[in-house]
Amino acid sequence: MREAQELTMEALHARMHTAGVTIVEPRLAMVRRLLDDARAPLRTLDTHTIKSVEPAVRFALGQETRHE
Amino acid sequence: MSDAIAYATIRELGVRYRQRELSPVEVTRTLLGRIEQLDPLLHAFITLTADRAMADARAAEAALQHGDARPLLGIPVAHKDIYCTRGIRTTGGSALLADWLPEDDATCVRRWQEAGTVLLGKLITHEFAAGLQLPGHRFLPARNPWNLAHIPGGSSSGSGAALAAGLVVGATGSDTGGSIRGPAAFCGIVGLKPTYGRVSRAGVLPLSWTLDHTGPMARTVEDCAYLLQAMAGPDAADPASSRVPVEDYLAPLDWAIRGVHIGVPRAYFFDGIEPEVAQAFEGALTTLRGLGAEVHDVTIPSFHATPAFLLIVLAEAFAYHERDIREHPELYGDVLRERILTGALVTAAEYTQAQRLRAQLGHEMAEVLRDVDVLATPTTPTPATPFTLAQDPEFGFPRSNMLPFNATGLPTLALPCGFTSAGLPLSLQLAGRPFEEGTVLRVGHAYEQATTWHTRRPPV
Repeated sequence: MREAQELTMEALHARMHTAGVTIVEPRLAMVRRLLDDARAPLRTLDTHTIKSVEPAVRFALGQETRHE
Repeated sequence: MSDAIAYATIRELGVRYRQRELSPVEVTRTLLGRIEQLDPLLHAFITLTADRAMADARAAEAALQHGDARPLLGIPVAHKDIYCTRGIRTTGGSALLADWLPEDDATCVRRWQEAGTVLLGKLITHEFAAGLQLPGHRFLPARNPWNLAHIPGGSSSGSGAALAAGLVVGATGSDTGGSIRGPAAFCGIVGLKPTYGRVSRAGVLPLSWTLDHTGPMARTVEDCAYLLQAMAGPDAADPASSRVPVEDYLAPLDWAIRGVHIGVPRAYFFDGIEPEVAQAFEGALTTLRGLGAEVHDVTIPSFHATPAFLLIVLAEAFAYHERDIREHPELYGDVLRERILTGALVTAAEYTQAQRLRAQLGHEMAEVLRDVDVLATPTTPTPATPFTLAQDPEFGFPRSNMLPFNATGLPTLALPCGFTSAGLPLSLQLAGRPFEEGTVLRVGHAYEQATTWHTRRPPV
């Protein structure tokens, strides 16, 4: 299910519950901002047209970068 | 005399050793004296191995007398404290490993040792090589020799500070999002992040497996080339290690760069850039044009996806630290603990999408690198950050000009290209095609030889 465009504090709490981690309440706004800034490029991603997954760069002998 | 020895290049030391004008023992004593004098201010070293250094220096001296021609023979170096050193404390800058004595050397440590270097000790790193100088660090942070109120960059903070202050001739660094190039930029030295797979990471504490690189740091491009030559090459102990043959990095350094094509991707890299950084960068391009390089703008749209790569760093760092951070959270610095735990909040879908964006960026860069030999950008959008700002828990991850090149694994060099009006170093970043470290070093060397930035010394 697609989450709201921006990560809400409620969604952040839900993620912490699922992951079984605790971050002190006064720091949650900072954590939310950190995650949201990093997630920003994903919001504009067209998941249907982007090239297929390549988990890490790989180079073949004598060839250019190969991205599959 | 101390300064002349402390700031000598590898080539200069090699020549003077072989002309019997200078000995490794004399150089090592000089540097140990400087460390004793300056390190209480700089905190670059976390462990000093003076006895080992003198033993290495005496062995080098004996080898020289037998005509040993290894270029790194008797060259004093130190290792970032995430490189394992057999029987020598390796802390990772962390309370968790404060007294750990590894049983084996990292591959790079062993290779430099086999090349005849002198081991002066271990250099402080940000806790577990996290790229920021976060509050709650177990050990005293290294300080920038150009201005002690500023950070030296990180996470290879001790390496940058020690080189700038003339305490070592070469040092190892590691680079997950700029941890070699950032300190090189902030400290006015040279750092090379080689191609992913070019230099072994075996025996080096990981931060983010798919982004981690190891590489050399030095004061000149040529010194970087010497150090890379001795550490590059296949290693069965690192699954990412490549079997692509290692080229000669020294011989082509002096080749002219006339006709070399340099691409400048202005979008993203100039967002929020400080005017003095932009001015120094444009000056560097003018110099490169004057040397005969063809400089033109290029477009790589996916650079704007760079913030998403932080999701990869966070998730992979949590994967590595999960057990320790759950069992011993008190042994992590407060802010680092919070950042690592944030990695647990990255969903699988987000991690995967970030990797897809990474693939797209790699594809676009490869396309552009069909037409240009090298990409040039400012290494950082600002000069060294003041401690007062860096130590603020609200200080987030700054926009990075370096992380895109970790994501794509391309060889990338940072070298001095100017100073701010306040006397802080500025840096030029050059990236090349995979395994073409030689081209990147050649362009960097040509620029360095045409300028004098690398000859300036900090006020400490």
